Amino acid sequence: MAERAGFASSETEETSALDTTAIIETPEHVRFTSTVAGPARRALAYLIDLLVRSALITVIGGALLLASGGHDELVSGWKMGALLLLMFALEWGYFVICEMRMHGQSVGKRALGLRVVTSDGLPISFGSSMLRNLLRAADFLPTGYALGLSVMTLDPRFRRLGDWAADTMVIFEARPRLREPIRLDPPPTPKELSSLPARIDLPGQVLEALELFLRRAPELQTLREDELASMIAPHYAARFGVEYADASRFLGLLYHRAVVEGHRAR
Amino acid sequence: MLDRHTLVEQRSPDWQELARILERDAPLAEQRAPRISRAAALYRAVCGDLMRARQTGSASDVVAYLDALTARAHNALYGSRRYALRDALRALRFGFPRAFRKNWPFMLVSGLLFVVPFLIGWLGALRSPGFASTVLPLKTLEELSRSYAEGFAHGRAAQTDAAMSGFYVNNNVGIAFRCFATGILFGAGSVFYTLYNGLVVGTVFGFVQHSGHGRNLFTFVCGHSPFELTALVVAGGAGLRMGAALIITEGRSRFGSLKKCAGELSLLVAGAAAMLCIAAVIEAFWSPSAVPSAIKYGFSALGWLMVFGFLLGAGRRDIAEVEP
Repeated sequence: MAERAGFASSETEETSALDTTAIIETPEHVRFTSTVAGPARRALAYLIDLLVRSALITVIGGALLLASGGHDELVSGWKMGALLLLMFALEWGYFVICEMRMHGQSVGKRALGLRVVTSDGLPISFGSSMLRNLLRAADFLPTGYALGLSVMTLDPRFRRLGDWAADTMVIFEARPRLREPIRLDPPPTPKELSSLPARIDLPGQVLEALELFLRRAPELQTLREDELASMIAPHYAARFGVEYADASRFLGLLYHRAVVEGHRAR
Repeated sequence: MLDRHTLVEQRSPDWQELARILERDAPLAEQRAPRISRAAALYRAVCGDLMRARQTGSASDVVAYLDALTARAHNALYGSRRYALRDALRALRFGFPRAFRKNWPFMLVSGLLFVVPFLIGWLGALRSPGFASTVLPLKTLEELSRSYAEGFAHGRAAQTDAAMSGFYVNNNVGIAFRCFATGILFGAGSVFYTLYNGLVVGTVFGFVQHSGHGRNLFTFVCGHSPFELTALVVAGGAGLRMGAALIITEGRSRFGSLKKCAGELSLLVAGAAAMLCIAAVIEAFWSPSAVPSAIKYGFSALGWLMVFGFLLGAGRRDIAEVEP
């Protein structure tokens, strides 16, 4: 595992483009990309976590103070000790506990879709989590994470010192969805379809191009839409020996017959 | 060549099945065996789909979807080992002293960086309060001195003890952590904090002794100092180790050199933190108690023996068991 990781990172790290993506190679020799999270998003997540921690201190501290109500000094000493321990745990342990329990996320990170992973895209271990969060003390210097931010801006993967030491990075976890298949609007009428050949075979690339165009078409102005469609519509009209009134509509029908119906026929 | 429509139509049942398995709350490793192997098979198939989709220049949404699905599945299948408390205790018992011995030169340097300014501060403040006031404000020193004026013949109220244990953990572990963390500045931060801590502690000792409350002070600090001072030195030494890894790279990149010693670093810091927690309990409940000073000194000697016996002796036999 270690060998593989070293190999993959040495090969990909240097050649990564000027972009906020980290390329990760799996043992299956598939490369997938992760979007590295930038300073702004991470700062926002940090602020949320800061709010969560302050809220915890306020609520638990308030509950402790109100709990007895009396002036029992023995109890209040224990409460003070407990409160200080809580503050300690929240300052140094909050992120470690969160990252361990929430698979590399904290409350703020989850809210903003961030996740801490190793540079190989794997879940982080307890040791890495501890190291990267301890080094917040160094990143914070001289104040307000100034050093951490400066180091981040110098690194294509936006790593702060803690990430460097623990070999981790923070990625933005998008959940892209597959788009719905294209449906012509209004749906093709039998009359329209009957004018086309019963079977249309087009190369995959052409179909992709048609699809890209049809997805973009609703956002285009009518004139521009017609202009673009007219660049290839006559070619196919001649090839299949048909006439058309609206170039864009004609391409839509072609796509419909070739893909939607063509697939059903196969 | 597969167009988008065919690819999606044919393969999306598999994709959705994999996504459903990943969506479950329990980590993959805790699910039933058939489901894990099913997930692995699906993952390999999706890897193939991703490559195919990329190669044929499929629509960007398909590539993006498969890319994210692959990443999530990869993350789940190649997950790191589950972390158990038992492993942590084992790491502290065996790994920590081994890491300490392995990095003895750094521990020695860190120790010297603490002891030398400590002695300078102590002797300087003993000779003249003027020296002490150049290190710390006179007002702070006098307040400290007054707090040791009373002695601990009657102990201290249990409530204060409890409050102070919280304070000590918060303060001391924080100091040690900072001492370590700033070592990433090529060791400079650790050098500074270790020197500074040594000087301040020494000066306070000297000043309090000069004011005539030395006995009270020593009976107070002797109990927890074996744990606390050693832990501070260990944290500083770990910081120095980290700084040195960035400077002396032995042919690796600075990053690779740092990465190589990361495991030892976390062991050392975790060990130091554990020692400081022990120290905090002693400092809060034992040190201010009314126990006769002779017993306190005896306890202190025992503490030093325990700490160094542990650091130098523990984990020597169990090597095979410690190494994963």
